[in-house]
Amino acid sequence: MNEQEKLARFEGEMLPLMNDAYNLARWLVQNEHDARDMVQDAYLRAFKFFGGVRGETSKAWLLRIVRNVCYDHLKKRQVHASDAEIENIPDHNSPETKLQVKSDIAAVRSALANLPEDFRTVLVLREMEDLSYREISEITQVPIGTVMSRLARGRQQLADSLKQMRAKDLV
Amino acid sequence: MTCDELNEHIDPFLDNELGLAEAQKIQQHLEQCPTCESLYASRLVVRQALQKPEMRFLPAADLSDQIHGELLKQIRPPARRTWGLPAFQFPSWAWPSLAGAAAVLLLWFGSNVFLTANRSANSVIATVTGQLVSDHMRSLLANHLIDVVSTDQHTVKPWFAGKLNFSPPVYDFSDQGFKLIGGRLDYLGNQEIAAVVFQHRQHYINLFVWPKNEATNFPDATLQKEGFNLYGWEANGLTLWAITDADPETLKAFVDLQRQKQTGAE
Repeated sequence: MNEQEKLARFEGEMLPLMNDAYNLARWLVQNEHDARDMVQDAYLRAFKFFGGVRGETSKAWLLRIVRNVCYDHLKKRQVHASDAEIENIPDHNSPETKLQVKSDIAAVRSALANLPEDFRTVLVLREMEDLSYREISEITQVPIGTVMSRLARGRQQLADSLKQMRAKDLV
Repeated sequence: MTCDELNEHIDPFLDNELGLAEAQKIQQHLEQCPTCESLYASRLVVRQALQKPEMRFLPAADLSDQIHGELLKQIRPPARRTWGLPAFQFPSWAWPSLAGAAAVLLLWFGSNVFLTANRSANSVIATVTGQLVSDHMRSLLANHLIDVVSTDQHTVKPWFAGKLNFSPPVYDFSDQGFKLIGGRLDYLGNQEIAAVVFQHRQHYINLFVWPKNEATNFPDATLQKEGFNLYGWEANGLTLWAITDADPETLKAFVDLQRQKQTGAE
């Protein structure tokens, strides 16, 4: 396989997964600019190692690289998570319900953004990327039992903080 | 099953990661225990909130172009010029086929493989025209026919001059039924090429132009591909291909007008 063929095969297999890669990166690094860089770095890294034997699906493999790139970045920069940006929310709703829905989404986004990274990662992979425990364990490089407990604690914290937000709104 | 046991298994239950027997035990417990039932309900609320499509972030439309550009740099020496990419974006579904076409074309443009591989002129023409048909179709489908909208050749020509290091012929043939409507940058493989756009009744004609590959000499070629008519020729150090869904006679008339003008310009 020459370089051109390798690139063609790589892009055919990997570029369709770019939205998934971006979503994960965006939730991990919490801003658009860095998320773009992370996705690009991940693709370059993936291309370098493309063609070797893999025991996992393309998606799990790529997301593992994205996750590693993001964690490296976070470690290096010591970036502390700010609230996720809540503008630019795609609007699928009628004007009447828009405000209500927008504030709900904003609340959930901010609650998720404030979770510890490890919990946020497994929740994004499970709920948005629809991956199995096994795949999540491959991506995050922790045992399945740890995936399970991170999901449980992440969900519990999320439920609690959403409850708190709603209570505040009612006062 | 106790409430503690349920607590430990509620997440894999929710995520469909339990065996059937275990899942049934959970189900039975939930039906009898309001406390655990409400825990399960709160898990479901969180799940529904997270699974809303609005929770996902989407990349800007140009990210795949940018990544493609960076990947190309990995396998080729850096491009000699460095202006920004034009605004056109390939739709994501087009990547696999485009990547394939790009790879083939790279063989031709990116190296001297063409000279030594002894590929026939016909196979090169087949590759090039296949790509041009895609460019043509995409320009119509993606509603990206024109970057610079103008019926004035004195507007379109300078526009290209600022973007390319060669000068495509830009003439208006409105009087003969081929109205110049604008220009666009497009790609052949990784090479930027000019597309001069004409309208003939309800048909569009894309005239693709790029510098002639010095190593090759192609005879005039006319062919039909995927329902489009194409005509290619070389003149004044340029390679030109016109493509349209209009009939071959119309295309020939257009090409003749172009050639007369170009010959006159020499």
